[in-house]
Amino acid sequence: MQNITQKHNTKTFQGLILALQEYWAEQGCVIAQPLDMQVGAGTFHPFTFLKSIGPEPMASAYVQPCRRPTDGRYGDNPNRLQHYYQFQVVIKPSPENIQQLYLDSLAVIGIDTLTDEVRFVEDNWESPTLGAWGLGWELWLNGMEISQFTYFQQVGGLECSPVTGEITYGLERLAMYIQGVDSIYDLIWTDGPLGTVTYGEIFHQNEVEQSTYNFEHADVPALFTEFDHCESESKKLIEANLPLPAYEQVMKASHAFNLLDARHAISVTERQRYILRVRALSKACAESYYAAREALGFPLCKDNSVTKKGA
Amino acid sequence: MTTENLLIEIGTEELPPKSLRTLAEAFAANIKTELTALELENTDVTWYASPRRLGIKVANLVARQADKIVEKRGPAVKAAFDTDGNATKAAQGWARGCGIDVADAERYETEKGAWLLHKAKVAGKGVDALLPDAISKALAKLPISKPMRWGNSKIQFIRPVHTVTVMFGSNLIQGNILGKDIKNELQGHRFHHPERVSISHADEVESVLKSAYVIADYEERKALVRGQIESVAAKNNAVVAMDEALLEEVTSLVEWPVTLVATFEASFLDVPSEALIYTMKDDQKYFPLLDQDGNLLNKFLFVSNIESKNPEQVIKGNEKVVRPRLADAQFFFETDKKYTLESRLESLDTVLFQKQLGTLKDKSIRISELAAFIATKLGADETKAARAGLLSKTDLMTEMVMEFTDVQGVMGMHYARFDGEDELVAVAQNEQYMPRFSGDNLPSNEISQAVALADKFDSLVGIFGIGQAPKGDKDPFALRRAAIGALRIMVEKELELDILEIVAKSQELFTDKLTNENVAQDVFDFMLGRFRAWYQDQNIAVDVIQAVLARRPSYPVDFDRRVKAVSHFRSLDSAEALAAANKRVGNILAKNDLVIANKIDETLLSEDAEKALAETVLSFKAKFEQLGQGSYTNKLTQLADIRETVDTFFDNVMVMSDDEAVKLNRLALLNQLRNLFLDIADISVLQ
Repeated sequence: MQNITQKHNTKTFQGLILALQEYWAEQGCVIAQPLDMQVGAGTFHPFTFLKSIGPEPMASAYVQPCRRPTDGRYGDNPNRLQHYYQFQVVIKPSPENIQQLYLDSLAVIGIDTLTDEVRFVEDNWESPTLGAWGLGWELWLNGMEISQFTYFQQVGGLECSPVTGEITYGLERLAMYIQGVDSIYDLIWTDGPLGTVTYGEIFHQNEVEQSTYNFEHADVPALFTEFDHCESESKKLIEANLPLPAYEQVMKASHAFNLLDARHAISVTERQRYILRVRALSKACAESYYAAREALGFPLCKDNSVTKKGA
Repeated sequence: MTTENLLIEIGTEELPPKSLRTLAEAFAANIKTELTALELENTDVTWYASPRRLGIKVANLVARQADKIVEKRGPAVKAAFDTDGNATKAAQGWARGCGIDVADAERYETEKGAWLLHKAKVAGKGVDALLPDAISKALAKLPISKPMRWGNSKIQFIRPVHTVTVMFGSNLIQGNILGKDIKNELQGHRFHHPERVSISHADEVESVLKSAYVIADYEERKALVRGQIESVAAKNNAVVAMDEALLEEVTSLVEWPVTLVATFEASFLDVPSEALIYTMKDDQKYFPLLDQDGNLLNKFLFVSNIESKNPEQVIKGNEKVVRPRLADAQFFFETDKKYTLESRLESLDTVLFQKQLGTLKDKSIRISELAAFIATKLGADETKAARAGLLSKTDLMTEMVMEFTDVQGVMGMHYARFDGEDELVAVAQNEQYMPRFSGDNLPSNEISQAVALADKFDSLVGIFGIGQAPKGDKDPFALRRAAIGALRIMVEKELELDILEIVAKSQELFTDKLTNENVAQDVFDFMLGRFRAWYQDQNIAVDVIQAVLARRPSYPVDFDRRVKAVSHFRSLDSAEALAAANKRVGNILAKNDLVIANKIDETLLSEDAEKALAETVLSFKAKFEQLGQGSYTNKLTQLADIRETVDTFFDNVMVMSDDEAVKLNRLALLNQLRNLFLDIADISVLQ
């Protein structure tokens, strides 16, 4: 652990990511790469949503870029972005010492818990579109929320057994604290032989343009059509027992919904109906994925002690 | 019998702070129940709790159950031996079951015959054998709203469990609870003492935990936090408006409390303090500081869970968190002030109150008219009431209220003042929502009262009017609270208002939107039902409420006066006899379905007792007519004196005379008697 801290400059954004990756790699996680699709949170990545279903063990860690169109502020707000990064860790079954593993990761990135106050504050998580909920906490560092910590109880409407432990780091928030800056755009991304690069230099223009697109240009009729198309496509793929491509259609539908939301194209009453439509799709994917793994004999259960569905 | 103190501790991951006390109290109550069921005597069961533990201490617990004699009855002696005096199979089987010979059996003699009897001596079990199961049962019955699982385990609890400790004096009880082997180890403070600490005697728990940076005793910790807050506030020449719920929550969030003070830029104080206080308390669990005059200062306290090597860094961190939030509040306030409340009325047309009942703009217009109507009844300024009603929902469209919904109303008041509205109109913006919770203050003046009532009646009449009365726990428009609130305002502020009249006016304002033809009656019944619940909460006897309910008074203030009168009457000596007499009269009148005259024909009175009663009744009638409506307590107290005359009448007079005219006249007399009481309440239902 000492070694990791010395090797990476966690006072840069990329150093922070490298240190976290290396730490969780040492704990046995698969260091996966970000999903190549537009999603609102790291939880959507199939490595979390689908792999937390069923009895097979898994452990992954990855950075996930997240898109939240309604949070865009045209690059004007120092704390809000429509595109930002999460660092996601998922381990099933959740290890006995998972809280300590998390705290040790903070030590690796330079946080001394006898100087800075870290606190587990009750925060139970629920995702209506994913048919998922869990119990856990948000992590406060001197009063600021820096991570979410959840024991999944249900995903896609299915009971989680064994339970997946999920840790989500808000990378920009954490980096702002470590670097002592008040604006996301002032974060140092890297400070190498070729000079210093800031977060703002890389992403400010993107925030301005994407906010403009999300709020002003996104084609509303086309997005409604896309939502309907993704829905029917997903249903068709479920019929064909292809849960993985079916689930990609769910993520696309969900992003289309988020863009429509940013365009204020969905009324309050309609909103609930759209959420339920996405939820129905996620549940179908979850069940189909479970059935597919079951048909394969849950090959990742190394001791072959296959747990029954919902048991 | 030897006794020892018992310690039970379940060490967990961080428990939900708002239910920590409830869980610990329930754990103690459940342990007590289990120990009683097992006949394990002790002198006291107490609890302690912190974010990572639930603990129980049992004082002077006996080491084992007392030995007991358990009587086991066998077959009847007649059936136990055959004619030769040999034991039958039944007797032998029973004896074998008891582990004795038939010859050793005693006899159980009764009048109906004799039975075989064995007095078995059952040795009491020791606590070591009984406790693991008893503790598991007590834990299984905890009121856990969302139990969870973790890892590979099927076990469910509030949060994952790490240690289970059960010490009987210095003895470690062996066993497995919630999937954990019982050990003499406790979790210390998460950061100051990450290693577990071992314990060698139940009585050591507090000192051992203190050495591991945990103040285990909940009340001690709470007192410590309170003391720290008060002393740090005093050092800063400030006071804290102590919020007991927040104090409890903070006590449940820390094991080693250290109170620190932080500041924010004084320029934020231009924002109405309610919004700032809300941000600090609800989002961040901070205690805002006030000066000696109660004005908000640019300082707040927070309770940290560590003795930081560098408290300045913890303070800086917290200040950094609160700044953008306060900046948000300030930004909203400045933005909101660019538009008057009045100019926002139009935008309320885009917000639905209820699909069939229209938008919030529609509701605002109705509230405005109804408030004016009520103000007129109260002799208050109807123009101001109408204005206050019209603006009453406009603050919902401000950025501030959209972001912090809890400051609705109070922000309306501030914005109304800024707009230059009349002070009473401004105050009504805030007070329209009163009472916000049980025991909350009521609107202070008639304009506020009119708006508060108009808002509540509009919801009641509207929602009942489309047939969506609350059912079970489904009360999405909080109509129960609205009804109680309206009743409290009318009763406690002694407003001479008629429910039926307000409902009729409200109904009219909905024009053709209402589909339920019985809406007036339904709302009235619902409110009478709330009355019953409300009085029951005040420990007024159910029969008193029923006696008044029988009259269905529609002026709440009048209802209340009758309840007070009957309550007083019920405490008098003659109450029981007069209640019985009223019941008797009621029964007689009900059985004789006759046309009864309104007048007593004095020439038909023959017996002394009936003459006396008639004279008394007529004199009371005259007296009460002079007193007019009301004066219920006075009237009922006087009526209590009538008891002897009534008793003498029933002892001496035969109501059902053969002479039809005499009979009818006596019934008329009784009817008048009963009406004297019925004018106030139906006394016959008193128990």
